[in-house]
Amino acid sequence: MSYVLSLLIALPLVAAPFVYLATRANRRLGIYLSLALSIAVLVIAGYVFWQVYSSPPAGGQYLFQERYSWVSFSSFGLNYFLGTDGLSSPLLFVSALLTVLVIIGSRRLIDHHEAEYYSLIFMFEGAIIGVFTSLNLILFYIFWEIVLIPMFFFIGVWGGPRRKYAALKFIIFTFAGSTIMLLGFLYFYMGMPSPSFDIPTIQAMLQAGQIPVSLEYVPLLASFIGFAVKLPLVPFHTWLPDAHVEAPSPISVLLAGVLLKMGGYGFIRISIGLFPSASAQYAWVFLGLGLFSMFYGAVAALLQRDLKKMIAFTSINHMGFVLFGAYATLISGSVLGIQGAIFQMFTHALAVGSLFMLSGYIQHQAGTREIPLLKGLGTTMPRTAVILVLGAAAAMGLPPFSSFLAEFMVIVAGISASAITAISVLVPVITAGYFLWMIKRTVLSPAEPGHEAHDMGWSDVAAFAVYLVPLVILIVTSYLILTPAFPVAQFLKGLP
Amino acid sequence: MLDYLTLTVALLAGAGLFLPLLQVFRTGRENLAGYILALVLAAALVLIGLFTLYPSTVPWAGSLVRPDQIGGVFALVTVGVTLAVTIASFDFLKSTNKPVYYGLLAFTALGMVLLSYSQDLLMLFVSWELMSLPTYVLAGFDKKTRSNEASVKYAIIGAMSSAVILYAISLAYGLTGSTQIVAVVAGFTSHPSALAGVATLLFVAGFGFKMSIVPFHMWIPDAYEGAPTTISTLLAAATKKAGFIAAIRVLLGVTTLYAVTRSPLFTMANVFAVLALVTMTVGNISALTQKSMTRLLAYSSIAQAGYILIGFVAFANAPGSSAAVLGLTGTVFHVINHAVMKGAAFLAAALVVLQLKRADLKAYDGLGKRMPITAFTLAVAFLGLAGVPPLSGFWSKLILVLSVANGPYTWLALAAILNSAFSLGYYAWIIKRMYMDEGESTDRVKEPFWFVLIFAVMVGLIIGIGLFPQQVINFASNAAAGFAG
Repeated sequence: MSYVLSLLIALPLVAAPFVYLATRANRRLGIYLSLALSIAVLVIAGYVFWQVYSSPPAGGQYLFQERYSWVSFSSFGLNYFLGTDGLSSPLLFVSALLTVLVIIGSRRLIDHHEAEYYSLIFMFEGAIIGVFTSLNLILFYIFWEIVLIPMFFFIGVWGGPRRKYAALKFIIFTFAGSTIMLLGFLYFYMGMPSPSFDIPTIQAMLQAGQIPVSLEYVPLLASFIGFAVKLPLVPFHTWLPDAHVEAPSPISVLLAGVLLKMGGYGFIRISIGLFPSASAQYAWVFLGLGLFSMFYGAVAALLQRDLKKMIAFTSINHMGFVLFGAYATLISGSVLGIQGAIFQMFTHALAVGSLFMLSGYIQHQAGTREIPLLKGLGTTMPRTAVILVLGAAAAMGLPPFSSFLAEFMVIVAGISASAITAISVLVPVITAGYFLWMIKRTVLSPAEPGHEAHDMGWSDVAAFAVYLVPLVILIVTSYLILTPAFPVAQFLKGLP
Repeated sequence: MLDYLTLTVALLAGAGLFLPLLQVFRTGRENLAGYILALVLAAALVLIGLFTLYPSTVPWAGSLVRPDQIGGVFALVTVGVTLAVTIASFDFLKSTNKPVYYGLLAFTALGMVLLSYSQDLLMLFVSWELMSLPTYVLAGFDKKTRSNEASVKYAIIGAMSSAVILYAISLAYGLTGSTQIVAVVAGFTSHPSALAGVATLLFVAGFGFKMSIVPFHMWIPDAYEGAPTTISTLLAAATKKAGFIAAIRVLLGVTTLYAVTRSPLFTMANVFAVLALVTMTVGNISALTQKSMTRLLAYSSIAQAGYILIGFVAFANAPGSSAAVLGLTGTVFHVINHAVMKGAAFLAAALVVLQLKRADLKAYDGLGKRMPITAFTLAVAFLGLAGVPPLSGFWSKLILVLSVANGPYTWLALAAILNSAFSLGYYAWIIKRMYMDEGESTDRVKEPFWFVLIFAVMVGLIIGIGLFPQQVINFASNAAAGFAG
């Protein structure tokens, strides 16, 4: 039995109160302690990521498994059950990486209630790692809900002018979605011939044909609602622009980079992994919804004046690719779809993360995020402008950024499902269009005279390099993610 | 062999009889009666705990009361809440009649303990009255108009519900020739008749008043708001639970009301399901529109009664099945959790009333800075009541929903889940007010030691049971299985 994953969850959760006390005593001490702890978590996550790459588990198998009985009585049994595979290890790694970057980025952008802020970051990190490693449905749900609590306070305490409204809207939307998801799990559990909440056990029963297809429809619909709210899928997305606009920029990074991945992960691990036959029957519906979300997000982003809102809609657009790719695999049998979806989640986290953080800097330095008011960044803030152009290039999927590869794989899988879905190639075109238009208006426009703005320092440039350099490296070393993702895709494809 | 139950009864009755005498002696130590009562209740708690956890194998001789496990759970919960209320009253109570107050509390506790163990309808009725009569006086203890109004309203409704129960008992005796609960239930089942159905419905109504089930809930918000807030705590977290044990004993055995209307739809499971649905929905929707904390808590308490009823549905739907045991386990477990969470929330509200002299929701703006411990307690209790994991309320709601998740009552499970999500609308709204809104001032307000002590214990229980629920679930599950089998 291994304890690595428990350590990965427990370290941030246990660290949270200490970070609180340290930051209260001394601000610098607290921030350095946070940084050290988050780097420690990143190192462990990197080790897990490397292990999963170097000895990828076969489909339906998991590395670093831990399993203890937690609660059991009469007909009810619930295990503390962790494990990781090629689907969750990239997400673990990117969550840990973004946490480090968020802590670095927060030291200038967060100026009140810092002790609470840094301790909540660790509570969030522990819970999110729990979500990605749980192999028991109830444990998964518990971590899923714990994530909400720090996010509620992040938006409500450190957010913009309409922060309280956005915080309440966020928690009610996502809580409603997830409780319905829980009901679906319970319905599924009570209907099984020998009830279990453990994902591998259920998958074994599925392969043995012990679970009737008729049992899968209700939980598929219920979990769809839970994951669609998180992803977010149009029309369940209305909380996202509000939450993003009001959240402080480092939190937007976590929101887009990590929290939305919970939806994509849930669709692949649970909707497809546990209700495969029902998923396969309705795959066209999911595919269509994903495609619609992609177009809707792209077109809505085109219309935004607020830089941050534009990036928020880009997230909806990019996460549509995840759903599209995952279900394209179910229809066409091409593993590229799920592989591409996993890759897309990883690249989206870094590309959009850098843009959100950048929007925070721009607002901090230039005093506004309105695209028409931001003029001449190329001359007043040259370093910021370069990063903005590079981040935009990463987000629109321009080679050599690996987001290109991810979107390419997803679109190819879609076309092999049906030629009609070839219209999805228009989405990157629209995306490139609005990013280039944004750059034309902000970077390439002439500066207004007398407008002073401070450019970012080289240390900040270095921090942004951490977002963007891996994206370039990954286009060459894409096997780091795609090799362990292959057995996962192969396994899921074969389930129904 | 030493008889623990008799010892407990003697302790509580002695406290009830002798504490008021301290009024005469005027010792100068105002809270002496309170300290004595707290010790007596703690001793009673230990005794009940001992004979619930280690039940004696010697058969109990009497036929009126029997110390079984499910009764033990309810006795523990009600005495525990009374103890918390007593401790909170040290600081809260401003009166010249303190010993009388504590004496009345002792009698209420005695009534609740006897009610929990009652095996006979007469015993049940007597202990029901022993529990209720002192609370009528306690609700009016403030001697203010509002408090007195609450007391009179509560007393009239209470007397009415007692009359309804008494009428139902007389019908039951006429039909079955016995007042033993087991015999009555067996008689109702073996010889169903229209009158038996009427008696059953009268029991539902009579107990329903105490359990705060819609449509018998009208008095609750007014009484909770007018009564001293510590007494509201007692009503919401303790006497309400006593209503539930009475209902469990009398109503769960009866499965059909077929004889009343000759309609197969008219089963007890359907009756409970409709009551549960209406109760939680009305409670949650009304809570959302309240302007005062005590009223909000009152409606939230009504909504929680709806969740507790879900276990009744699972039990009545298929008695003897594993889902039935699961449902009753959920009911018992949620009773325990709800007593702790609602007790914590009400006592936090009591402290705000005591220190800030107001109960409207405006007082809660920025409370996180003014009274951090109270605000934290309230936030944890609210998240627990909404069923957010990993707090204790999550587990009991999970078991309740699980018991009806797949079967004819899936719609009820869905309703409960949606209600939980909806209820977060007002719970999170109060948390938002406490931590995100600006208050009138940011000065720290004193939080007295005794209150902090109770808050620490209760928050510890909410989080502790949430992380390690196994022992408590076993306890509830054994009690449920003992009752069912």
